[in-house]
Amino acid sequence: MSGDVWVYSESEGVSAEVASAAQDVARGASAEVRVVDIGSPRQGIRGSGVRLLLKGPSGPDVSPAVAAEALARAAKDLSPVAVLLGATRDGREAASRLAAKLGVGCMAEVVKLASDGQGVTGERNVYAGKVVAKTRCQFPAVVTVKTGAYPRAEALPERTQEVEVGQVSDRSKVVGREKKAAGGVDLRSAKVIVSAGRGVKKREDLSMLEDLAVTMHGALGCSRPLSADLGWLPEEHHIGLTGVTVKPDLYLAIGISGQLQHVAGMKDSKIVASINTDKDAPIFQASDYCIVGDLYQVVPALRRALSARR
Amino acid sequence: MKIAVCVKHAVDEAELRLDTEGRPVLAGAAGKMSTFDKNAVEEGLRLKSAHQGEVVVFVVGAAESKKTLKEALAMGADRGVFVAADPLVIDALRTASMLAAAIRRSGPYDVVICSEGSSDTYTGQVPPMLGELLGVAYVGYARKIEVTGGSARVERSLEDSVEAVETSVPFAVSVVSEINEPRYPTLVQIMQASKKPIEELNGGEIAPPGTISGVEVVSMSSQPSTRKHVMIEGGPDEAAAKLLDALSREGVLK
Ligand SMILES: Cc1cc2nc3c(=O)[nH]c(=O)nc-3n(C[C@H](O)[C@H](O)[C@H](O)COP(=O)(O)OP(=O)(O)OC[C@H]3O[C@@H](n4cnc5c(N)ncnc54)[C@H](O)[C@@H]3O)c2cc1C
Ligand SMILES: Cc1cc2nc3c(=O)[nH]c(=O)nc-3n(C[C@H](O)[C@H](O)[C@H](O)COP(=O)(O)OP(=O)(O)OC[C@H]3O[C@@H](n4cnc5c(N)ncnc54)[C@H](O)[C@@H]3O)c2cc1C
Repeated sequence: MSGDVWVYSESEGVSAEVASAAQDVARGASAEVRVVDIGSPRQGIRGSGVRLLLKGPSGPDVSPAVAAEALARAAKDLSPVAVLLGATRDGREAASRLAAKLGVGCMAEVVKLASDGQGVTGERNVYAGKVVAKTRCQFPAVVTVKTGAYPRAEALPERTQEVEVGQVSDRSKVVGREKKAAGGVDLRSAKVIVSAGRGVKKREDLSMLEDLAVTMHGALGCSRPLSADLGWLPEEHHIGLTGVTVKPDLYLAIGISGQLQHVAGMKDSKIVASINTDKDAPIFQASDYCIVGDLYQVVPALRRALSARR
Repeated sequence: MKIAVCVKHAVDEAELRLDTEGRPVLAGAAGKMSTFDKNAVEEGLRLKSAHQGEVVVFVVGAAESKKTLKEALAMGADRGVFVAADPLVIDALRTASMLAAAIRRSGPYDVVICSEGSSDTYTGQVPPMLGELLGVAYVGYARKIEVTGGSARVERSLEDSVEAVETSVPFAVSVVSEINEPRYPTLVQIMQASKKPIEELNGGEIAPPGTISGVEVVSMSSQPSTRKHVMIEGGPDEAAAKLLDALSREGVLK
């Protein structure tokens, strides 16, 4: 075993988060972290002393199928103790394929990692977030790290090691790509998150919440139905079990019922305040400050009060 | 067209009780069809109505899992395959290897449909692993599937984009909830479902365990909420002012 801990994500930001998580494994396993690039080197991925460049796959995009095959070939040669990927939609697929190719276990959606030198241990949310489970897998292991669970790793000096893995082909071909509704906010680094739920009646009304978020120097997030079912915001704004994990100083839940799957993604926020017309809404159980009221009255009132204070 | 749909009998998280130490009481816990698997069954039925053929539903789990198969049969699937295994000790790769073995035995299939992830333990790993083990093309997070002859066009819903992918039959796919609106079975359908055939297999026999230990669950616990639960009274303006005062005191307002 060369004993390295590999980090890969198709997203550079997520890759830096996974690099932080990898340091927790590397520490316990007396191993070193290697951030992996596939095909061509990427700029700006930080957090690793040595970068591993898997050469062979070409083309602008590395699909999860190609990533998994390239990682599997290189792993057979170099025997990393663990390969960590970000739990994005493409990342879950790449990790699962890789684990199946190598015939090793894959620990899913881990929010906290450690190693005892023999394997990886992790913590993750299960049963809609009602329960935290500790999972374990012997080396060699594949792991997906929940997005937002770790801060991005700090920059470290870098040197690149190249590994030839050969051409890799994919049975499927991407023939088109369309951006979802405007996004661009980084929820993971936001100190204040104003989060919108189904209590918001119309898409246009989101601008009222966005305005509040901007006034509070924060970012706008949402519950899953707003992005998945209604398509009002991109999927990367949705907070919870199947979306991003956030830990802002202030989480302001507006018109969100507070189902377990949502709470799982924001329960580590420093302060939670919520506005809901239903006094029995479960979100109040997960809140420090609760306003029973109509968001269409309370949000404008908050906006006025904030302006008056500045 | 031969269509396989994988359905999981998941722990019903709403009914799940915790013991005095905050551990989930899984023995005898109520189960239900994993939420998004209804979308997987629905998509299978839609493909069948467009292309004719057969929809076969597969479940790996304990004996109670047959309830979920029956529900899928009531929705309209033609027959079911039950693979017996202890759901608490098999990891996603073991689950996928049992599903792959069962699917191979009754196959070949043109399309294998899963949902993006289960509602109880959500790893999202079984579908891509299944694609790998079956050696077919795999496309994840589909929000639209169109099959024309030997090829298929699938729209994948990613975090910030929608990707259109072309692939060839046979293929495996996972679907997201926005792909369709699952139907509710009628009473008559529920009664007829009990007459539809269910084949029973043993997971350990059709997919003998290898040497790998895989992922194990070491322990489970829950932390009670430690929030302050302060109810802020008053009309909108008064409540807004009080909230801002409280947030300033907490030091979370910039
Ligand atoms: C496997 C699985 C995974 C999931 N993962 C996630 C996830 O990661 N994230 C997530 O968010 N959800 C997730 N869900 C969905 C989750 O179960 C809930 O359905 C969802 O969170 C509900 O969104 P909501 O609170 O916006 O809507 P609702 O539950 O419809 O709540 C709307 C709330 O708004 C309040 N309201 C209505 N009008 C007003 C008004 N004028 N002013 C103030 N309040 C008002 C209502 O009282 C209600 O409480 C998942 C579900 C499954 C099955
Ligand atoms: C607390 C806990 C934590 C766990 N953590 C991990 C982990 O980190 N890594 C790991 O490998 N395993 C883990 N497992 C085991 C895993 O839950 C089981 O292997 C289970 O059979 C697969 O569920 P899933 O959540 O992985 O399915 P997912 O991959 O999320 O399910 C996606 C789809 O695959 C199909 N599918 C999944 N399971 C079945 C089934 N049994 N029968 C038929 N179709 C199915 C369905 O279409 C389903 O919608 C854990 C189990 C527990 C109890």
